[in-house]
Amino acid sequence: MTLRKRFGRAVPYVLLIITVLPVIVGYFWLILSSFSISTEGLRSTGFTLSNWSFLRGSPFGRGYPSIWKVTLNTFVVAIGMTIAVIVVSSLAGYALSRLNFPGRKSFLSLTLILHAFPSVTLLIGIYFVLRTLKLYNTVLGVGLVMIGFELPFGIWLMKGFFDNVSWDMERAAMIDGASRLRVWGEIILPTIKPGIAALAIFAFISGWNAWLIPKTFTIGAGQQATLSVYLENFRGDTVAVQWGAVTAVGLFQLIPVAIFFIFTQDLLLSIYAGGAKGGT
Amino acid sequence: MSLASRLKRGGAPPLFPTHSKGGMPSIGDRLRSRFGSYGFLAPAAVLVTLFFFIPVVIILVLSFSDLDAANFGTLQWWLPENWSLDNYAKIFNNKFFPKILGNTAFYVVSTLTLFNFSSALIIALLTTHVERRTGFFFRVLWLLPRLTPSVIYIMMWQRIAARAPHGILNQLLVPLGIGTGGNLLQASPWPFVILVNGMIGASFGMVIFTSAIEAIPRDYMMASKVDGASTLQTIRYVILPAIKWPILFVITYQTLSLLTSFEQIMLLTDGGPGLYHTEVWALTAYHRALSNYFGNNQWGYGAAWAVILVIIGVIAASIYMRVFKFDELVEEPKIDLL
Amino acid sequence: MKVKLENLSKRWGKVVGADHINLDINDGEFVAFLGPSGCGKTTTLLMVAGIYKPTEGNIWFDNQVVNYMTPKDRNIGMVFQSYALYPHMNVFQNISYPLKLKKVPKNDMRERAQRVADMMGIGHLMDRRPAQLSGGQQQRVALGRALVKEPQLLLFDEPLSNLDARLRLSMRGEIKRLVIELGITAIYVTHDQVEAMTMADRIAVMKEGKLQAYDPPDELYDQPRTLFVAGFVGNPPMNFLEVEVSRKNGDYHAHREKFDAIVPTEQGEKTAGKGNVIMGIRPEDITISDEGVGGEIYVVEPLGRDDLVTVQIGEAIVHVLADPVLGLKMGQNVTLDFSTHKVQFFDPQTEKSLLWAE
Repeated sequence: MTLRKRFGRAVPYVLLIITVLPVIVGYFWLILSSFSISTEGLRSTGFTLSNWSFLRGSPFGRGYPSIWKVTLNTFVVAIGMTIAVIVVSSLAGYALSRLNFPGRKSFLSLTLILHAFPSVTLLIGIYFVLRTLKLYNTVLGVGLVMIGFELPFGIWLMKGFFDNVSWDMERAAMIDGASRLRVWGEIILPTIKPGIAALAIFAFISGWNAWLIPKTFTIGAGQQATLSVYLENFRGDTVAVQWGAVTAVGLFQLIPVAIFFIFTQDLLLSIYAGGAKGGT
Repeated sequence: MSLASRLKRGGAPPLFPTHSKGGMPSIGDRLRSRFGSYGFLAPAAVLVTLFFFIPVVIILVLSFSDLDAANFGTLQWWLPENWSLDNYAKIFNNKFFPKILGNTAFYVVSTLTLFNFSSALIIALLTTHVERRTGFFFRVLWLLPRLTPSVIYIMMWQRIAARAPHGILNQLLVPLGIGTGGNLLQASPWPFVILVNGMIGASFGMVIFTSAIEAIPRDYMMASKVDGASTLQTIRYVILPAIKWPILFVITYQTLSLLTSFEQIMLLTDGGPGLYHTEVWALTAYHRALSNYFGNNQWGYGAAWAVILVIIGVIAASIYMRVFKFDELVEEPKIDLL
Repeated sequence: MKVKLENLSKRWGKVVGADHINLDINDGEFVAFLGPSGCGKTTTLLMVAGIYKPTEGNIWFDNQVVNYMTPKDRNIGMVFQSYALYPHMNVFQNISYPLKLKKVPKNDMRERAQRVADMMGIGHLMDRRPAQLSGGQQQRVALGRALVKEPQLLLFDEPLSNLDARLRLSMRGEIKRLVIELGITAIYVTHDQVEAMTMADRIAVMKEGKLQAYDPPDELYDQPRTLFVAGFVGNPPMNFLEVEVSRKNGDYHAHREKFDAIVPTEQGEKTAGKGNVIMGIRPEDITISDEGVGGEIYVVEPLGRDDLVTVQIGEAIVHVLADPVLGLKMGQNVTLDFSTHKVQFFDPQTEKSLLWAE
């Protein structure tokens, strides 16, 4: 092999590595910092475990909610949202894919338009909806808004999975004597488990990571805060940032995401093909 | 014992149930069937109404009113006699309006061309060119920015840009004698705003382009190789024409996404440094109406900024549906009854 | 149970699935719906099952119109081409699902499911998932699930087309025996004329949503009522030649370019003087003999028991089944004897038989 050829072969790899470098560096620093007294560039000034003491109490002193309270809030939002998104989207997705009723086509195109529609532009309006419903500054309110935002994607994804279920199986179940609701619950849902898993992962991660909506619809870093909001309050330039503690909390928040990242890569790639919306 | 008697257990054949219904559907049946279909849709319909339709209307109405923190509770903003077009006039007369408009255009165009389209396409081409497992590995890495909670992701970038001795870039630049070692976000925020958003945005196009490239029949690639085409020629004459629809889709979809996104900018620079240096349209709407830092929430004025984006969003979204013929995905149900 | 379809139609907008179907099925009768894909046979079956609602017409079960009765109230069992087993349930759960929905007590349910499974020869597979079963076993589970609720009508939608050839043959026999022994009325949809011919008491041939013929298999074969039925039933298919029949010296002759064959009097009387008609004759009814119509062999395809010989007579092509011992070769000249009582005649315009009037 000539040198030139060998070089030509290496080019794609070199390019790929250079382009992802910021991400790698960022993660490296995050891990390094969480175990360091402080960092200078990518150098640690000394190893310590004290950054992780937040696990036994509030990381930022008294007056702030404990990490467990915040984690619980985040978990409730993420899990509640996951369950609700799955139930609501699979009900609606089933109707749109399988049932015959007036208005089906319009509802479908509406779902599609909403899927492409930038929902973040509606935050001002939603603020008033939540105030009217007395859900402003509540975990429930935040959860409902996030469920609403995930629905167009969820319904569309579920509809796609329902479309691929054999009609004969559904017909067989109806001849066996099942109602449409039972067919949905006992026959169809169990056969689209991969779709449900995909939607569950997507919904959980977006619920767990969410910052903008909880930030907008809850007040400060109070008892209602979720991890992202909580973390953001200790990031600013105004207070002397305890980078060690902040990065440790950040890594803590990354745990479930990392688990999905490591074990469900194939699924993630396919979900984000259809799921990337809002943000960038 | 015959099969028949084994099955029927020797008894008389079960009588066919004599139902009164059968000939005509009863009104109850029809209602149940109607209601049933909509029952499946009801939860989704309620949430979509609450968080899409009603907010659109509220924003529209608010944008005509002068509602702010000072007159909240007293101003009956929903009454037409309190409506005017003042907010819109205020937007255009704002002396920072040209600045914000320019920022938005610059942000959308440069992020789109550099990352959401070009980088996405290059990564897709590279990762489909190299060995399968390696390609997959790099594509998954590119998902990380999207999967990382935005607060943590931005934190990393702030640290990369921070001043010496903490900043990671400065650790490299200062010994080389480049720059002053100050905070790079203060000195040149735009490259970071574009990088931060672009690194997230690129994965969308990447995933779509990759699957489109992988869907090109292998024969075409082979034929092009056999004809003696170079890699670049193959890309130019085989791959690009084959993925022109995905390219159009990514460009249009991402234009809309970028136009309305502000979460990362808000976390990174919050529109600064200084006055409106990186403030984009969507962020202005948020700042006016919902930001606590400003204290004086101008809901009406903020809504007017948002309305323009909402209108662009509705129009663009409905055009996609027509251009990409998504309505053809609708299939007739193959069971008549509920 | 008797079934009667009365003017039954199904349309989706302009698309016609079934077009004014009229037929009666007697109690305990085994009826096949036969036709090419898209002919409306499955649509009709699904209307009988209650999955589709008729656009027009009525479905009678005994003395009752059941158009709007839900499938679960119709007391029917159905076997699908894809078997449509529930993949997440094991064999026992699959078979007992109809009983579970009927709220049959647990013990009773277990006993009945086991009895049906034993009858189908799958009693030892109760804990398996469908994916762990062979095609034949899956088919038996599907049959068991259809039978377990003791239906009064069994519906089959191409149940054998996913099986390999050998298994198809044995299941064909088994299903026929089972249906006869249970004495259940059955409707069997298939595109395979051999299946229809071997299994059914009567065959309804359909084309483009319309009922073409509804007769016992032998009548369908020997006395086809339409050109379509004649061409669809039988393999290799019937030969068709456009001829003119006339009387010469007391005999009836069918003639066309380079073709002149004697027609039996019975057929001749009904077709002579009607101008151009279509003559139909099955490959097995043409014999290679010393005298008759001359032609040249175009190609010979050995089928094992017979040779399928394609003969060119002027512009026309005729298929003949010949004894392999004759050792026919491509390019050889042969003479064919067309004089058989089984010859058919059809009107070229209406495509209806000139021999077997309605």
